[in-house]
Amino acid sequence: MKFLTKINRNYALLLTFTLFVATVSMYFIVQTILLNDSKEKMIQKAGLIRHQIQNTGEIPNIYPIVEVTKQSQFKIHSVKFNQISLNNKSENENEIYLEFAEQVKIGNGYYTIKLRQRTFESEDLQLLLTIFFGFVLISVFGIQFLISKNWTKTLWTDFEKNLIAIEKFSFNNHKQLILCETDIEEFDRLNSIIEQMTLKLQTDYESLKEFAENASHEIQTPLSIALLNLEELLQMELSKDMFRKVITSINALKRLSSLNQSLILLTKIENRQFLADTVISFNELVTLKAKEFESLFETKKISVSYEFSGVFSAKINAQLADILMNNLLSNALRHNEIKGFIHISISTNEFKICNSGASNGLNNDNIFSRFTKMNSETFGLGLAIVKNICSTNKLEIQYLYDNIHCFSIRHAP
Amino acid sequence: MRILIVEDEKELLIGISNFLTKENYICELADNFRKAEDKLSIYEYDVILLDISLPDGNGLELLKIIQKFNFKAGIIIISAKDSIDDKINGLDRGADDYMTKPFQLSELNSRIRAVIRRRQFNGDNTLVYNEISINTDAKSVIVNENKITLTKKEYDLLLYFIVNKDRVLTKEALAEHLWEDNVELADNYDFIYTHLNNIRKKIKLAGGTDYVKTIYGMGYKLTDQ
Repeated sequence: MKFLTKINRNYALLLTFTLFVATVSMYFIVQTILLNDSKEKMIQKAGLIRHQIQNTGEIPNIYPIVEVTKQSQFKIHSVKFNQISLNNKSENENEIYLEFAEQVKIGNGYYTIKLRQRTFESEDLQLLLTIFFGFVLISVFGIQFLISKNWTKTLWTDFEKNLIAIEKFSFNNHKQLILCETDIEEFDRLNSIIEQMTLKLQTDYESLKEFAENASHEIQTPLSIALLNLEELLQMELSKDMFRKVITSINALKRLSSLNQSLILLTKIENRQFLADTVISFNELVTLKAKEFESLFETKKISVSYEFSGVFSAKINAQLADILMNNLLSNALRHNEIKGFIHISISTNEFKICNSGASNGLNNDNIFSRFTKMNSETFGLGLAIVKNICSTNKLEIQYLYDNIHCFSIRHAP
Repeated sequence: MRILIVEDEKELLIGISNFLTKENYICELADNFRKAEDKLSIYEYDVILLDISLPDGNGLELLKIIQKFNFKAGIIIISAKDSIDDKINGLDRGADDYMTKPFQLSELNSRIRAVIRRRQFNGDNTLVYNEISINTDAKSVIVNENKITLTKKEYDLLLYFIVNKDRVLTKEALAEHLWEDNVELADNYDFIYTHLNNIRKKIKLAGGTDYVKTIYGMGYKLTDQ
């Protein structure tokens, strides 16, 4: 749910609730005010009637509003208000009256003065006032609601713009993230925090990239020196044992060097330092690469067959495409058996390379992870590199085993 | 043959120059851009080994100067960066070859010889080792005046041995030379043995001597001593 929608919804809910409570309480407040008013008026009126009786001796009687009766003895002591129901003869229905009863002594006689007022008259007023009040409330709130809704919308437009800017931001295009000022302290604070954070991330990213480049140089140079010296050592008169030790050292250093290069390559791929700028036909690529591998295939007497029913192409960096194919073919060769086969089938939506080999399938979960070794000769980085190249180039790779080992590459959905 | 080695890592510089001096080259050394610039204006070189990343400049800039003063020189870039961009850039600007560190001295030797051969347009492109002579233009091998037919890999291997005569070469180094980047794939080096056996047989058949000695089953050396 959008922030504004949520705010508006909450506002509307609160408004309804407040409106309801205010109107109901208004009703009761008006009721009390009116009742008190009527009571005061009745007491006043009773006073007037008392005077009239005292002065004129006339007893006014207007049923049901004024009812004065002469009493033989004193009955009631205090002023008393009552709600009573009287039958209206003309309309033949019960009506609710507010009754004021008072016993007074005028001269020698006792009189009971009863004054009545129909309550529904004040009820009408009450209702009218409440409705009016409610209406005023609704219009005030409503107008405010509409104004604030549009107003907050304009307040949030800058925020929305900044959100889009952040969404579009990429570390690769070397542009600093610049957010527009919003005039709102909190938003500006958030902006400056984000700007600082991205700046820090960007410098980190750049230095990581630089590290990847430099690490190669810094590590390869001492390795070169060590290898050079070992190679010269090899030219001297050595015992078999010494000779073997020098060779194992050379090979270990070479492994270290190629491991270093593979890891740097992986980092570069993950940092997306390769521009996907060429549309590569996998048909051409695999044919070309397989030719390079021909003599290597020969050493294991492996036969290669092709089945092209379409052209599979992808937009990818040429160097990465080369590495991808190289690793796939290496994999098919390395884990193949003597006099085995490699079958490459290509359709418009799939590139598939299958090879004969060990008679059990490989573990699908970790086959593409780093340092998953099939044998101790390799680092287990080849397929991790393949997987990374695929995933950074909108391709999907899958391993399938159906008596033969297959890798299938498709366009990611 | 005069070679200029431009390399900022002193150990490497000395190691390479010691090796090349033993191979009868005259070596001039430069461990920075400025020195390299100076040396380039003094002498003419047959081959220049050039490290791209120098403390006081980019080796690629030196390529321009080389082309001005030493256009005859063959240039081999030696770089720690295994970057295709650098490689293409360097080769575009007139370099003849590109080697990534770490490399083997025997491989460097072979590349230098190849560059020299390519640069000697009118020269005699025949490499002679006792009764074996190789014509590198025609890629033909003659033993005791009998032409022998070798496969491409066998030819490459024999040439590599003769260029690096009297040097111990490991199976791995030979495999690396033959397969370059894909050497890791050759998980056993039996095929080296197979190729080598074929060469030996063919040379013997033509009446030649087998000069390749096996060293403790782990390395080989072509020698007539």
